[in-house]
Amino acid sequence: MAETQDRLQTHVDWEAIERSPEFQELVHRRRRFVIPCTIFFLSWYMGFILLTAYAQDFMGERIYQGLTVGYCLALTQFAMVLVLGLWYLRKSDREFDPLAERAIEAYADDELHPGATGRFTRERVGATPVTEVERR
Amino acid sequence: MTLFAADINTEAVIVFVIVLSITLGITYWASKRARSAVGFYAAGRQITGAQNGLAISGDYLSAASFLGIAGLIYLYGFDGFLYSIGFLVAFLTVMFLLAERMRNAGKFTIADVLAFRLRERPARTAAALGTLSVAAFYLIAQMVGAGVLIQALVGIDFTPAVILTGLFMLCYVIFGGMVATTWVQIIKAVLLMSGIIVMSLFVLGKVGWNPIELFNRAEEKATGPDNTFSLSPGTFLDTPMDTVSLGLALVLGTAGLPHILMRFFTVPNARAARGSVVWAMCIIGFFYLLTTCIGFGARAILGPEGLEAAGTGGNLAAPNLAAELGGGEGTFGGDLFLAVIAGVAFATILAVVAGLVMSASSAVAHDIWSSIIRKHHDSEHEEVWVAKIAAASIGAIAILVAVIGGAGLNVSFMVGLAFAIAASANFPALVLALTWRRFNTTGAVCGVLLGVVSAIFLIIVSPGVWPGADSDTGSPIGWTLANPGIISIPLGFLGCIVGTLLTTEKVTERSYHELFVRSETGLGAEKALTGH
Repeated sequence: MAETQDRLQTHVDWEAIERSPEFQELVHRRRRFVIPCTIFFLSWYMGFILLTAYAQDFMGERIYQGLTVGYCLALTQFAMVLVLGLWYLRKSDREFDPLAERAIEAYADDELHPGATGRFTRERVGATPVTEVERR
Repeated sequence: MTLFAADINTEAVIVFVIVLSITLGITYWASKRARSAVGFYAAGRQITGAQNGLAISGDYLSAASFLGIAGLIYLYGFDGFLYSIGFLVAFLTVMFLLAERMRNAGKFTIADVLAFRLRERPARTAAALGTLSVAAFYLIAQMVGAGVLIQALVGIDFTPAVILTGLFMLCYVIFGGMVATTWVQIIKAVLLMSGIIVMSLFVLGKVGWNPIELFNRAEEKATGPDNTFSLSPGTFLDTPMDTVSLGLALVLGTAGLPHILMRFFTVPNARAARGSVVWAMCIIGFFYLLTTCIGFGARAILGPEGLEAAGTGGNLAAPNLAAELGGGEGTFGGDLFLAVIAGVAFATILAVVAGLVMSASSAVAHDIWSSIIRKHHDSEHEEVWVAKIAAASIGAIAILVAVIGGAGLNVSFMVGLAFAIAASANFPALVLALTWRRFNTTGAVCGVLLGVVSAIFLIIVSPGVWPGADSDTGSPIGWTLANPGIISIPLGFLGCIVGTLLTTEKVTERSYHELFVRSETGLGAEKALTGH
């Protein structure tokens, strides 16, 4: 018990990181990208599915010979996946990763903050901080 | 029972032996690296982003994707292509919501993420239940599919074919762990992509390299009394609600498949996890684009005359097309092309079942045995041994069920069930654990239980399961929906939310800070092994 409490003291102050402006900015910026993207891709996809389900004549209309509206809209889904995927990679490399690094800079040294790693290691069997706090 | 049916395909057997020798060689090489827990479950976290992208493709593109979708497009045209779209767009859900967070916060199983901030034993039990249900249905479906295909393509009987597939899959997992499984999946992805690219080039060559001409010719062949093929939607799924329900289960289900999520634990960091999703998207997207060539090509070239030979669900349309492209059945080129495609299909099945057994055995050993039964008092050595024993038992049960159920088990029904459970049970609990501050143990348990139970119940009463029934719908309670997604996914979320709101658990809210910071920044994430 005492040992665990010692460990809790050398533990990373997660709430302090969470409150830090760098972390707040990271979360804010990532959300500003991911949430609109998720809403967009789910709507575009479910819109396609709804058209397929309820507007079958429209989807079967010909654009040129055997090429239908439905098939063209299906191709836009492929394009969407590719564009969003590459865009997110670029944003993460240039924007989110550097921010994340700055947010945890002070804690990234394993030697100084052993508590940051090994959330699941066996040394802390049955006495993870969570259960300790729970018992007290 | 004879081991071989009368018309054994010698070329196919040779290709199978080549595939097996290469993969067993890899297993031998991998066996030295799979002794520690992190080596066995996560390949030492040394797989690069590009390798993992290939392995995800190999893990994901099952025989249902290759032969099933090609067959559905051959039979129904546009409606078959819907599966391709749903299976692909699903990776955006994985990328935006789960891939990096799983890598940052988890260790070996999806239960690790839930156990992080929830009470460990109930949370792990619930997650293990979700994982095992998905893996069980998916695994049995793949084994039955393997038996049927090998019987049709090579001439080996159903029962020995299932047993052979099962034994090889167990060999990879037990001796080579995740290292061997990963490389089997990578090789399979390369074989599958090469196979489908070559076939597509042949098909496109036949129509003067003009894809639109392919549609025209396919439509010309949409004849015959029982024709179901159409370039317009509405031929395969009869009610609009079914289309919507299926679409929803496909796009959310992938993000709850344990064998796919587990792959993110094999890379060194979140950046590689992100890269591997985009690699997988490119490979899988290109593959699904080419399923059009194969499906429409089969319609244009084989025509309605090929319907009978294509079998139930059109599963053999792609191999038959290969034989036709090579010069027709009986010619050297035709038999060789058929044998190569059969070998590709075989490698495809092996890679997927190995991934599934990996995820199921890790849930048994890491979650149920080590964490729940032994309460972390076991050694790492013991845990790896338990995982191997679990893999052997799960494999034996899957072989047994597949052999007893026989070729009559409905494969697409079980795959649909696996996706529905993944979307309704695993997905809501994982997403809410990572993003909702108030989420607690009761919520997770309620959500997973409600998701699993409602998905299974709605599938059992669905019309597809009761083909012989007399009523109009076929279902005993008059239920008409074939896919449960549209009901069971909201129920899964509802279970999580109501369970959470009805109870208070201060500690989970507090540990949310830690999980939140870890999952967003990667601070303290599990390290890769070095020095190999």
